[in-house]
Amino acid sequence: MTKPKISSDWMAGCSGCHMSLLDIDERLLEIAELADIRATPITDLKEPDESGVDVGILEGGVNNSSNEEVAHRMRARSKILVAFGDCAVFGGVPALRNMCGTQEALQRAYVDIESNEANSKIPSDPELATMSNVRALHEVVDVDLHVPGCPPDPDVIYYVLKELAEGRMPEMKDENLHWH
Amino acid sequence: MINLTINGKQIEVEEGTTVLNAARQNDIKIPTLCDHPNLTPYGGCRLCVVEVKGMRVPIASCTLPASNGMVIETETDSLKKSRSTILSLLFSERNHFCPFCQVSGGDCELQNSAYDEHMTHWPMQPQWTNFPVDTSHTRFILDNNRCILCRRCIRACAEMSGNFTLGVEERGSATIVVADSNVPLGESTCVSCGSCVQVCPTGALIDRSSAYLGHDKQMTVTRSVCRGCSLGCGIMVHTRDNRIVKITGDYENRNAGTLCETGRYKTLDEKRVRLTTPMKRVAGQLTATTWEDALTTLAQNLTPNKNKVAALASTRLTVESMAAFKSLFADGLGNDVVTSIEEGRPTALQAKYAEANGEAIEGKLDTLRTSDCVLLIGADLSETHEVASFYIKRNMPKGTRLIVVDPSENGMDDLANLNLKPKAGTDEAVFAALEAAIIKEGLARTEAKSSKTALKNALKICELAEEDVIDVAHMLAEAVAPVIVYGKGISAFGNDAVMDAMVRVAKLTGASDSERRGLLSVKGEANSLAAAQLKMDVPFDVKNRKVAYLAVGDDYISKRLLKSLEDVPYLVVQASYESELTDRADLVLPVNIWAEEAGHALNTEGRVQFAEAALTAPEGVRSNLGLLNEVAKLLNVKLNDDWRSALTARTSVVEIEM
Repeated sequence: MTKPKISSDWMAGCSGCHMSLLDIDERLLEIAELADIRATPITDLKEPDESGVDVGILEGGVNNSSNEEVAHRMRARSKILVAFGDCAVFGGVPALRNMCGTQEALQRAYVDIESNEANSKIPSDPELATMSNVRALHEVVDVDLHVPGCPPDPDVIYYVLKELAEGRMPEMKDENLHWH
Repeated sequence: MINLTINGKQIEVEEGTTVLNAARQNDIKIPTLCDHPNLTPYGGCRLCVVEVKGMRVPIASCTLPASNGMVIETETDSLKKSRSTILSLLFSERNHFCPFCQVSGGDCELQNSAYDEHMTHWPMQPQWTNFPVDTSHTRFILDNNRCILCRRCIRACAEMSGNFTLGVEERGSATIVVADSNVPLGESTCVSCGSCVQVCPTGALIDRSSAYLGHDKQMTVTRSVCRGCSLGCGIMVHTRDNRIVKITGDYENRNAGTLCETGRYKTLDEKRVRLTTPMKRVAGQLTATTWEDALTTLAQNLTPNKNKVAALASTRLTVESMAAFKSLFADGLGNDVVTSIEEGRPTALQAKYAEANGEAIEGKLDTLRTSDCVLLIGADLSETHEVASFYIKRNMPKGTRLIVVDPSENGMDDLANLNLKPKAGTDEAVFAALEAAIIKEGLARTEAKSSKTALKNALKICELAEEDVIDVAHMLAEAVAPVIVYGKGISAFGNDAVMDAMVRVAKLTGASDSERRGLLSVKGEANSLAAAQLKMDVPFDVKNRKVAYLAVGDDYISKRLLKSLEDVPYLVVQASYESELTDRADLVLPVNIWAEEAGHALNTEGRVQFAEAALTAPEGVRSNLGLLNEVAKLLNVKLNDDWRSALTARTSVVEIEM
C-alpha cells in the first residue's frame, strides 16, 4: 500500500496551528513513517503539484485574493480538505475586522495608528492581493473535515493526522472537539 | 399524578410539571439554554424542542406542561437536525468567537451545547454586526455581542432580586439587553447583586473580579453560609490556589441562589492587612512574640478573679466559637459582662419578650414570599439585609403592598405604597395609633377595646396624620397574609412597651394568629440570634474592669466601641486583621477569617446551618475555637461544648430548627 500524501498551507492565520502541529514532538516521526509529507510551509516544497495529495490541510481564514487562490488550489489538488484551526473553521481573530469593515481596518493599521509616521498611506501597489472580508474556509470551498481550536491541541492534531494517515476519517467529538 | 412516555420510558410526574422538568426528574437530558431551574420558563431559545405524538411540529419542552398519555421523543434524527440549525442560528446572530471569551472552555453553556451536538463549525457565518458593550459597572461587564437573548438575566433581575433593572430594547435580531431605559449599567437602578451574571449561560455578563481567573472545573467549590448579615444565605465559595475567586449563590439553600452585593462581591474587596503573629506590648511598643509567650501572658492577665474581665465577641464567629467564648468568660471565669459586638441592640427587646411570654412570636423568612402586605419598621433592609428586601420587592408587581415606617430616609421609601415618617423614637405611639385605628374602623380580627381618645393621643406623640394611619390600618387588616418586619431601629433601646404594642397590632391584623406568625425581625449580623440565645446581649460596660477581651475575628469595630476602651488597663484582641483596635491592644492574637474555619451559623429565622472551611489559614494563625479551647485549658476551665443545648436553653423569639 502506498503511503497517503499529506500537504498543508497557511492563509490568514498566525501560523500558530502549524506550531501546534510541531508540538506533537516525537510523534511527528511516527506520522512521517505512516504518511508521505509533501509540500508544507515548513518544508522546501511550498505547494502540492498537480498530481495532487490525499489530504490537504489549510490553516487560516480567507481574507484576500491570494488566499482564495491557495484555497482553490488546495481544494482542487486534495481528496480530503481539512480546515485546520479556528481561523480556517470560523474566521477566527482576523475575522474581527469584519465587524468594522476592511477599509476602516486598513485606515487604522496604516494611517491612524499612533506609531505610524505622518503621511502614511494604505499600500496600493497593483501587485498586492485584493482584500476582502475574512471568511471561513468552507465559505470559499467545500471542506471535508473541520478541526477547530486556537490552536488545536497537539494531541488532537496527532489523532487527526494518524487517523487520516491510516485511511480513516477522524471523529471530531468529545475530547477532540475544542473551539478555543 | 400524570403518566407520560419519554423516549419509550414510562414516567410519572406531578400535575403542572413541564415536559422538560419531567425529563430532568427522570435523568433524560434535553438540551436547553434559556431555561434555568430557578427561573420561570420562557421558551426563548427553542433548543429544548421535542416531538409530541399527534402534534404537527416540534414543541419547546420548557413551556409545555406534561399531560396524561403524552408520548414524547427527544432524540430523533429530525430533532437533532433542528437543534443543530437552532444552534447555528444562535451563533450566526452575534460575535461568538470562542478563543477570546472568558467562559470558553467549560463554563459556556452555548459552547457546551454545540459540543454536545458534535458541531465542528458554523454552517451559517456571523452577520458581523457590532453590538454595544457596557463597561460602566464596577462589578461586571455586559457584552451584547455574546448575548443569545435568553433573558435569564432579565428574569433573575426581576424574579430573584425584584429589581427589574434589566430589560430589552429594539426588536428581532437587533434586540439588546439594556438597563432601565437604556442608561449605562453603572448609572442605572442596578443594586449589584450579580444574580444576572450567575445565570448568564454565555460570556455576555462577566464579573470583573473573577474573569480570566480560571474555569469552574479548575476551582474548588465549597458550600458555605454568607456572614454579611443575619439572613444566612447559602453561598458557594469558589477557590483556586487557596484564594477566593468568586462567590455564587447556593441554589439548594433557602435563598435559592439569591445574593446581594455584600454576599457576592464585598468579601472580594478585602484590603485590610492580615495578622499572622501574636504580638504583645513591650515598653509601650507592640512586638511580635511566640504563641507560647502570648498565651502565658494571657493566662497571667486572666487569672480567675470574678468580674475582672469584660468580654466581647463578634457575631460573625461561628456558633461553636461564641458558645465557647460565653462558657469561658462567663461560666468559667465568672464575669458578668460577656456580650457580643452588637451588645443586644438588634435582639434584646424581642428576646426579653419571648422569655417573659414563654413562646416564639416570630415567623420564618418564607412568610415574606407569600405576604400581600408588608409593614417595615425600624430597618432599612436595602442597606442592612438586602436579600430580605428582594423577597418583598419581587412580589410587588403581584400586588403586595409595602408600608415603610421610618423617621429618616429609607432605601425602600420609593417603592412603598405608603410612607410614614413619625417623630423619631415614638414607635410605641405608632403602634398604639395603629391599634386604635384598627379598632375604630372595625377591622380587628380579635376582640379588642380601645378608649376614644387613644388614637388622638397616640397621633399627637408620633406626629402622624390620622388618615395615613387609618390607610395603613386598612391595608394591614384587609390583607390575606400581612407581615410586620422590624429592625433594631424600633424605638429606644430597652423600651419593652413597644414590643407589647407591636404584638398587639400583629394579633389584631391577623399578622400573628394561631396559625400564622407574620412577625419578623431582621436582627443584626450573621449570628445575631445566637448571641441573644447565649445571653450575650448586654451593654459592653468596661467600667472597673482590669481587662477587656475582644474576639472580633474578621469583623469591623465602631468608633464608639473603640472610644469606650480608652480607660481599660489591659486590652486583649483576638482578630484576623490589623486595625485601630489592634494598634491599641496590649496583646494581639491572630485568628482565622470566616472562610478558614468550619462551623455553624444560626440565622435570623432560627435555622442552624453548617459552613465548610473554604481556605487554609496562613501559618501561625489559630482558629477562633481552637484558641478559646487552649486558653480554657491553660486556665483549667472546663468548657461546655454542647452549643446546641446552649442555644436552646432560653426561649427563643423564633423557633430554632436544629
